[in-house]
Amino acid sequence: MDSKGRSLSETVWTRMDRKAGAIIELTMRQLRHRISTWVVLGVGVLLMALLLTFYIDSVRESFEPIDNDGDSEDNDGDGYPLGQERKYGTWDWDSAEYPGSSIYIPESDIDWNDAIRTESGNKSWTGRAFFEASWIDYDYTGDWYDSYVDWNPNQEGTPELADCSDWEYEDIISIWSDACDLGDGDGDGLTTYFVAGKWRGEGFATVPEEYYLEWGYWTEEVYVEPEPPENYIDEDGIDCFEGLDLREEDWEGNRVECPSEQRLSGSHGFDNDGDCLSSNEGAGDDENRNGIKCDVQWISSNGVVIMIDRDDLVDEDPDEQEYIGELIHRTFVIGVGKMAFVILLGLFIPLFLSLGLVRDETENGTLHLLLSKPIHRAEFIIYRLAGYLAISGSYVIALSLVVGLASSILGPGDQIIRLGDLPVWLGIGVATTMVLVAYGSMFNAMGLISPKYGVYLCIVFGIWEFMMGSFSIINPNWTVASVSISHWALQMIDATVLLAWPDTIQWAAMDQAFEFESGLSAFWQPPVHTLGTSSAGIALLNSFIVLSLVSITWIFIAKSVFSRREIL
Amino acid sequence: MTIENQRPPAVLIDQVSKWYGQVIGINDLSLAIDGGVTGVLGPNGAGKSTLFKLMMGRIRPNQGSVRLFGVDPWANTSPYRRVGYVSESEKLYEWMTALDFVSTLARLHGMTREEANDRSAHVLDFVGLSEVMHKELGKFSKGMRQRVKIAHALVHDPELIILDEPLHGCDPLARTSIMSVIREMGEQGKTILVSSHILEEIERITEQIVILHNGRLLAIGNLHAIRGLLDKHPHRILINCEDPRSLAGLFVSEGPVFGVRFPREGQLEIQTNNLSAAHSILPSIVVKSNQKITSIENPDDNLESLLGYLIKEGS
Repeated sequence: MDSKGRSLSETVWTRMDRKAGAIIELTMRQLRHRISTWVVLGVGVLLMALLLTFYIDSVRESFEPIDNDGDSEDNDGDGYPLGQERKYGTWDWDSAEYPGSSIYIPESDIDWNDAIRTESGNKSWTGRAFFEASWIDYDYTGDWYDSYVDWNPNQEGTPELADCSDWEYEDIISIWSDACDLGDGDGDGLTTYFVAGKWRGEGFATVPEEYYLEWGYWTEEVYVEPEPPENYIDEDGIDCFEGLDLREEDWEGNRVECPSEQRLSGSHGFDNDGDCLSSNEGAGDDENRNGIKCDVQWISSNGVVIMIDRDDLVDEDPDEQEYIGELIHRTFVIGVGKMAFVILLGLFIPLFLSLGLVRDETENGTLHLLLSKPIHRAEFIIYRLAGYLAISGSYVIALSLVVGLASSILGPGDQIIRLGDLPVWLGIGVATTMVLVAYGSMFNAMGLISPKYGVYLCIVFGIWEFMMGSFSIINPNWTVASVSISHWALQMIDATVLLAWPDTIQWAAMDQAFEFESGLSAFWQPPVHTLGTSSAGIALLNSFIVLSLVSITWIFIAKSVFSRREIL
Repeated sequence: MTIENQRPPAVLIDQVSKWYGQVIGINDLSLAIDGGVTGVLGPNGAGKSTLFKLMMGRIRPNQGSVRLFGVDPWANTSPYRRVGYVSESEKLYEWMTALDFVSTLARLHGMTREEANDRSAHVLDFVGLSEVMHKELGKFSKGMRQRVKIAHALVHDPELIILDEPLHGCDPLARTSIMSVIREMGEQGKTILVSSHILEEIERITEQIVILHNGRLLAIGNLHAIRGLLDKHPHRILINCEDPRSLAGLFVSEGPVFGVRFPREGQLEIQTNNLSAAHSILPSIVVKSNQKITSIENPDDNLESLLGYLIKEGS
């Protein structure tokens, strides 16, 4: 009992409570009796179901391992993948060259101006020479462009070549990739040929003046087991090390998971498949100019990895299973939160539910019933909005938690439910609710300012908000976009994401550095409005305050219009 | 002397004018009403609804001031705690049951859900709707809807009740029941304002009337006192009886009558300058004539002729 002898249940506040309760309940029941309410809420559920099926699809697809550096391909068809050929230093565009294939070793040559111009023996020759042959290897062949001489042997095993014994010297000299028959001039039973190109044989070679001849031998061919192409998929993952002296022998022991709690910085990365180390003729690569060849430079700020700069061909083929699943998952959560919740549901629910909150009562003539009660018109607006919010807000938060739960169960990771996701989804629900409040109060005011044309005003505002929201996703730093409600709600999501998943900056950096192309950076960037602190908490609070002020302003505008309006 | 002793009247209209663009709704009207049932009479467009909307703070006077219990209803909602208002608008929440409707509105007075339900059931019973209070309003007849509106205006036990054309469009049975409800409320000591454009309706409810015409106050006071003003105005009384001629003789010899006519068989028309005197001797003449009178009508005693006369007097 208070001093005037009234029981506590009869104070001004409880009376206000009861009035609020009655109007909120009335508003909710009215909204429930309208088909358009069910249509817009139903469409929202369908949209989310559709997005979830897309999600299931994308999760399955992206988990297939991808050969990011393409070294599982066998370009020349010799059965050895590019990665293995690189390791053995062979060329993957020549089917004759493969790991273990015989290699030509040059011995010596006769140059154009050497004094001694003869050589004898069983060799592999390249060049021009008058060759008195005791044996010729007719099987020494290769591609035509490699200038192998075709001896054209007949059934008896003697070459059938053009007879050039009566040719001019210039004509003989000018042939290439070919040989001609000069006959057995000295009568020792051995035929002399003029040969130009590549050939193998035993005999006595005389090199004409001004020409050259080179000779050598081919090593024995060694059989090297071709590795399956799968070995060159995901073979160079992201390596991080505990200590900075990662070039120690036991580097494997120092390896840690990269997206760990411990914030990495400094030189990391290991060229697992050796393609960086063997590049540049074995000199390696230092693209990031940190003085260490074939490494990845991780740059941290305030304990968060903000940039990753790698040398070419290092950690270039990471395991998709391990990384892209997480990246796609986060991209999905953020993308759905921003596009589907804040921009689509955030705009359409208020457009359908809040525009007529007060206006329709005036038009229906039922306002007389309500306003003949001791209730202030401003109170009436606030309670109506509260009723609208009770339906739309609980719908949005419930929907975000349901979609969140489903994607948390479907999402990557060993645990059954990714509990860490739920704060993000709650943040999405709250950000969307803030949007519902802001648009709700704005559209309601529009309906009051112009009962007839308010809907067109709302559509114009809606288009503006949609555009600014889209721009804010692409570039949150663009100042003009901050003159919109959606921009601040999207900032709330950016901030919530960073609070719930502090390593998202690192994931975004990894997405860019290791070319996962998950789209995370397209949908998420660190919050902008941190007042120079780069603190996600301040950005969240800041956005919350801005959205609240916008809502209060529009409620005030609606109140001013409504209080002055004569109701006929 | 305490403040209670200087209690302001329930309704105080002080030199109020209200116009809508070029059209004048209320023109320099002054009026104070406190206690009893008052009928607000006037033809359509006389300004009755405008007057009520001014009282309920729906519209704002262009000139003058409106006070309910001493408070400006446009600026302050506090008088509505003590006022019940039945607007002329027919619209209700069709999907609600009568009980739901009345109790939802009752809660806007700060009642708890239980209080509101109890009170609503009570007032619905009072207006004779207890049997249908769980039915949806969409299924209600016009007279039932009017009674639901009255119930919602009564639910918080107001001191002042404003009813804008509560009998409009009702069938005779509904009229009778609504009229008895209004009379009963008047007997409970409430201040009641009822508007109508039909004199007979008001006459059956109250004798205290306010007559509006073209936004002006034409007359205020007791219906019969106003009618007394009409005495100089020739008035007709139509009597249906067995022998009009003998009755006419009696009137001419005894009453303040300046002429008689026999418009139809078995009907007598008396023309008088003093209606109340004629009415006062009427019973004794009827007794004297010793014949069966089937009906007595006052064809000039309607709003139109009253207004016509008052306007002529005023000019």
